Amino acid sequence: MNGLIEMVGLTKAYDARHVAVNNVTLTLPRGRIIGLLGPNGSGKTTLIKMLNGLLAPTSGSIRINGLPVGVETKAHVAYLPDRTYLAGNERISEILDYFCDFYADFSREKAINMLYSLNIDPGTRLKTLSKGTKEKVQLILVMSRNADLYILDEPIAGVDPAARDYILRTIINNYDPNATVLISTHLITDIEQVLDEVIFMRYGNLVLYTSVDNIREQHGKSVDAYFREVFAC
Amino acid sequence: MLGKLIKHEWKSTYRMGCLMLFITLLVTFMGWLSFQSPMWRQLREDSYNTSFGPLDFISIIVLLMYVFMLAGISYAILIYLGVHFYRTMYTDQGYLAHTLPVGKHQLLVSKILVNGLWLLIIYVAVFLSGLAVLGSLIGIFLSEGYAWVNFWHDFLEFVSDFAFYFDINDKIYLITMIFNFVLSPFVTVGILFGSITLGQMFARARVLMAILCYLGVGILNNLISSVVHSIVTFSSIRLNTAMNIGINSSQIVQLIAAVALYFASYYILTKKLNME
Repeated sequence: MNGLIEMVGLTKAYDARHVAVNNVTLTLPRGRIIGLLGPNGSGKTTLIKMLNGLLAPTSGSIRINGLPVGVETKAHVAYLPDRTYLAGNERISEILDYFCDFYADFSREKAINMLYSLNIDPGTRLKTLSKGTKEKVQLILVMSRNADLYILDEPIAGVDPAARDYILRTIINNYDPNATVLISTHLITDIEQVLDEVIFMRYGNLVLYTSVDNIREQHGKSVDAYFREVFAC
Repeated sequence: MLGKLIKHEWKSTYRMGCLMLFITLLVTFMGWLSFQSPMWRQLREDSYNTSFGPLDFISIIVLLMYVFMLAGISYAILIYLGVHFYRTMYTDQGYLAHTLPVGKHQLLVSKILVNGLWLLIIYVAVFLSGLAVLGSLIGIFLSEGYAWVNFWHDFLEFVSDFAFYFDINDKIYLITMIFNFVLSPFVTVGILFGSITLGQMFARARVLMAILCYLGVGILNNLISSVVHSIVTFSSIRLNTAMNIGINSSQIVQLIAAVALYFASYYILTKKLNME
């Protein structure tokens, strides 16, 4: 297997009683769209933060492209967090300058085209945009990079169905077959159509890592139906 | 990448920095205005028979406001820089800062350089403001035919005589003072940012813990500086030794604290980062 992400014994404990990610060992290949699924508090966001170097693991290791998380990996990972990380008083064009300066794989032209396709003026200040439009701008910034790994944390949460469709279309249209997209979400039905593989997590533990086809063939169910079965309360 | 980080840090702070400079200019005008009431000229001519009218009362109030506002600017810029650092490093905006393909040394150095430079600019502006207002006061009391050139000549002669009498090397003292004046804002910013980063080690109330860390570091600094200063003063018979070493000792203690906090910050950012 051509592993892009390798996690070995990955654990994050905030304190003795609260283990957010527990001893996860997993290798994720290139060229896949992978859904990171699990109920609230299952450790999805913690795992994603560790992949991006925003949280230091308590134990275990992560390698991306064979390298530990650091400056080199960050140059090849495009990350969409579950919050707005851009300063509100900046214009979109200034944010594009920022991304151009720091990410060698960022395409300003691609970003501008995507912005115009949504009728978003690059001269607009971010604070004047609605929550949904801000999320679209952040997604455009991320998908305008030619990265090896795209990590999208809850990209469709909190936006209307039309925006969800746009976001999913953007992910598919900009998907590079050599790259991997890791998407964390609760909204499985909306996203199921684009997924190749899924990871199920519960209470910080890895429950399942398999292909979508496998779930359909072996269990005769959609990912959403199988998720509901596995995580039934 | 350091150059790019510096460029963007400057872009994100220059608006507030320029606003502070503009306010300093306005406040300086206020200070100058306070000495334009008739009372001051009357004081020069006959200090025993000076009348005190409503305009003079206002001038005293304006002068007091000037002093408080000038002190306020020095604190306001420090608070702004601390809040800006916290916001861009440890809140939602920190998600961008910490996922950039740049080293943690570069990130910290760019912030200390740019923010330290702003603090230096504001300190220089405050100093110049004080000088300008003090100059306007001295100007009132200079006797007829006694030009500013004469005043400066006499002042420098006084400083030179003082230094000679107490055997103080005035040139070294002046160079040390300028060096300290330039270095001090960067040291202050280093301690401030280090304290904020230390506050992130706590699981809860991180802003409060950051403030407490800053106050704690400040108290510890003052304590150590006072002890060193006392030792130097009491062990020195000669005033020049006490002055030269005594004044520098607090700067050295602060510098050591800033360097220690810098490396503590680097360690926290690389090994203990916890973006919640």
